[in-house]
Amino acid sequence: MGVKISNEKFFDRVDKGIKDTFMRKAVSEAQSRLEGRKIEVTEELGNWEDWRDLSEEIRQHTLENLDYYLEQFARNVAKQGGHVFFAGNAEEANDYITSVVKKKNAKNIVKSKSMVTEEIGMNEALEEIGCNVVESDLGEWILQLDDHDPPSHIVVPALHKNKEQIRETFNKKRQYDKTSDPDELAKFARQELRKDFLAAEVGITGCNFAVAESGSVSLVTNEGNARLATTLPETQITVMGMERIVPTWKELDILVTMLCRSAVGQKLTSYITGLTATKEQGDVDGPEEFHVVIVDNGRSKILGTKFQSALQCIRCAACINVCPVYRHVGGHSYGSIYPGPIGAVLTPLLEGYEDYKELPFASSLCAACTDACPVKIPLHEQLVEHRRIIVEQEGKSSFGEKLAMKGYAFGASTPSLYQMGIKGAPTFINTIAGKDGDGKGAGPIKLWTDIRNLPKSTGQSFRKWYNNREKGGND
Amino acid sequence: MATGTIQNQDKFLDKIANQLGRKRQTKEVELPAWKKAPQYDVFKGLSMDELLAQFVIQCEKIHANVVVTKMNELEEIFHEVIQKLGGESIVYWNDSRFETYGLTAALTQEKEEGISVHEWKSDLGKKNIEIAERANIGITFSDITLAESGTVVLLSDSGKARSVSLLPQKHLAIIPKSTIVPRMTQASEKIHEISKNEGRTPSCINFISGPSNSADIELRLVVGVHGPVEVTYIVIDDM
Amino acid sequence: MKVSLFLTCLADAAYPADVGRSTVEVLERLGCEIDFPKNQTCCGQPAYNSGFHRETRDVAKHMIRTFEHADYIVSPSGSCVAMLKEYPHLFEDDPEWIGRAKKLADKSYELTQFIVNVLEVEDVGAEFEGKVTYHTSCHMTRLLGEREAPMKLLKNVKGLNFTELPNKQQCCGFGGTFSVKMLPISEQMVDEKVQHIEETNADILIGADLGCLMNIGGRIDRQGKSVKVMHIAEILNSQK
Repeated sequence: MGVKISNEKFFDRVDKGIKDTFMRKAVSEAQSRLEGRKIEVTEELGNWEDWRDLSEEIRQHTLENLDYYLEQFARNVAKQGGHVFFAGNAEEANDYITSVVKKKNAKNIVKSKSMVTEEIGMNEALEEIGCNVVESDLGEWILQLDDHDPPSHIVVPALHKNKEQIRETFNKKRQYDKTSDPDELAKFARQELRKDFLAAEVGITGCNFAVAESGSVSLVTNEGNARLATTLPETQITVMGMERIVPTWKELDILVTMLCRSAVGQKLTSYITGLTATKEQGDVDGPEEFHVVIVDNGRSKILGTKFQSALQCIRCAACINVCPVYRHVGGHSYGSIYPGPIGAVLTPLLEGYEDYKELPFASSLCAACTDACPVKIPLHEQLVEHRRIIVEQEGKSSFGEKLAMKGYAFGASTPSLYQMGIKGAPTFINTIAGKDGDGKGAGPIKLWTDIRNLPKSTGQSFRKWYNNREKGGND
Repeated sequence: MATGTIQNQDKFLDKIANQLGRKRQTKEVELPAWKKAPQYDVFKGLSMDELLAQFVIQCEKIHANVVVTKMNELEEIFHEVIQKLGGESIVYWNDSRFETYGLTAALTQEKEEGISVHEWKSDLGKKNIEIAERANIGITFSDITLAESGTVVLLSDSGKARSVSLLPQKHLAIIPKSTIVPRMTQASEKIHEISKNEGRTPSCINFISGPSNSADIELRLVVGVHGPVEVTYIVIDDM
Repeated sequence: MKVSLFLTCLADAAYPADVGRSTVEVLERLGCEIDFPKNQTCCGQPAYNSGFHRETRDVAKHMIRTFEHADYIVSPSGSCVAMLKEYPHLFEDDPEWIGRAKKLADKSYELTQFIVNVLEVEDVGAEFEGKVTYHTSCHMTRLLGEREAPMKLLKNVKGLNFTELPNKQQCCGFGGTFSVKMLPISEQMVDEKVQHIEETNADILIGADLGCLMNIGGRIDRQGKSVKVMHIAEILNSQK
């Protein structure tokens, strides 16, 4: 799939999102529920800010020493019989993964949910060599059956779909003939997918956190599909973004705690699975061959910049669940597999500004995201930093805006000009605003008055009142 | 065991070090003393009985059935639970604790009553998986139990197979009360010690908190997706 | 105690004297002596949030010079004060200005924050009859971290019939240039806010930031609704 999920223009995508009433209702309800549950389990701890501080410190330390921890991790994986491949970009990762699959002569592949494999377009690469790749996360499976509809949320990928649509998809693609009751739909998915699990020669997973000290990878799930994908197939391939690592099991504890509570408001999800290399001697289940692919794909160039803390992200979607912009436009409007505030920060870093120059501006900078982030990424500040780069380095602001901002700054640093301006402002506003304040004006003022009135500037100004008073006059 | 391969490492890690504005870290990096440690405040100073009470409360929230019993009543309770879960067919770990707690005899009894009972045996190979896949109940023992989250921690080995808690319709976990700790923190410390001292971490460590579930359809909770649709815990007072 | 008033450009240019005047009168009643540096302009936020940081530095330098003499800078806007507190970041690489920026940031307060935390007053003796609700502005609560002062003061205003605003933590959709650059999104956000305001059945929406009030009030007016918006300074300055 790749990061990019749409060729439409930004405002066309937004328009489509705003008009999708079902999606908006679903998103709004999901946000309330997920956020409500998160607040419940974080307040219960009583010292959530301490947890956030600790998590931030762990993530910062790990990123500062990332080369060391990745090397330690790789050494421990290999020592226990696993194979490690460091992939600089998507192509290198896909080449390695397809070569492993070819060597195994494998045709049937079962996958558990993984954003990084979406990012590198791994499914397409495997399908190209003739493999049947089955997404086993219920949400991802629904999207895959529905002709690869892109995900709209990083934790609940099919959030934008309703059960009727899902029933229809199951019916069309798999001759499902029962009701749209979620229990029945899920039961059907269980039966269908169980066959795929039993037939699969290769299981592919993402990785929530790798543990350097033991060479383990951990998977955080509720459905159990990641467990099946790593229990039945003879070969396991785990694909991880290079920043998804912790030093020891003790730090894993903290970050898993933060992830489960922030993502779904659970103390722990149903399954936290720690997998270390291949199965051991005498083991019947588990993989005989284990590969881990560590992916850079644009991440390393974020290190050492003002955006480094974006790599602290643990993909919990807490920022998405509180974002008012996301609530109204939905995930697809971002045009990226990474939506919401973290998507608006991360996508231009990974893919460049050309296709995503609007994203950093699609925020009122309300900072709800920054407050919600369990690892304390200053998301709204990073959006401002993107804006600075777009203006100062990429030169992507319009001529009119440049002129306006230069004029503004000159005026706001030259008192005489400023005072002239504010003296004229009420007359100016009243002129364009009309008697009722709903006039049309021009430029940004026209946009403002497209949907709102201007304030009514009647009565004397503050300065006039203040001057009079100083002179001893009354108001 | 054959050692695995590591490919493309230096170029990759050099780039990281370069971006961080320094040379590669060659010396051991020591973990700093973290400024905060809130994880130790959870259930601090609680007695075993209080931890057990917390565990039971949490189980209700995560839709896990829980029964607490004494050693002398275990056999009877065990039989009741098996009946309640619908009997039929059982697969269980090859684990000496079944013998220690007198459950091997209890399982023999079940067998005599017509229930199909299978102990996981390495030398039967993939046959075990076929049996587990068809079984109604899979029985395991908790190695570490977390009060805060209602979790059983299962450390795999050749007899303690991953499939037993995963493939059957229902999962029954036996929990010696002595295995209960406040939260994941204490379990992680144990695993940290194992990987430090024993050189090899168990290939699969599962933290299981209730039945498999999903909220992927309209955010409605569906219990039982890919894993067991029902989870039952029997806590034995072994202290 | 001498207090230097930073009026903010919106109160200076777009609105009549009421907000500034109320701010002055409330502070005077509490024993403060008001200084109004006439050369003051704008905090620079429109340029800063649009990515024009070079231009913002010019504005910031002017504001630092203008307020350098002040003991306390008080402003009837959480958002503009949060911007003053951003100045040190703007001059990270400028040893001459960073110290001056820090000094300015350290002595800047939003009005209610100043009254509650510096003057240590929670009852300003105000009286106002009306069915009201209150919008907690994002920059006031999240950037400035001031979540309690306005409510502490409102609680002691006699005659207020207060209903809490549902989903009060949600942004009204103003966001400075966001309100015009991302018009369709801003519109959805302000509509949701207006809907929640209506759910309270309040006649008056109180806020502590003119940006939010201009946005919400402008939308309410456009829709021909009768809810009135008022700045918290006006409420605190009301007397029987």
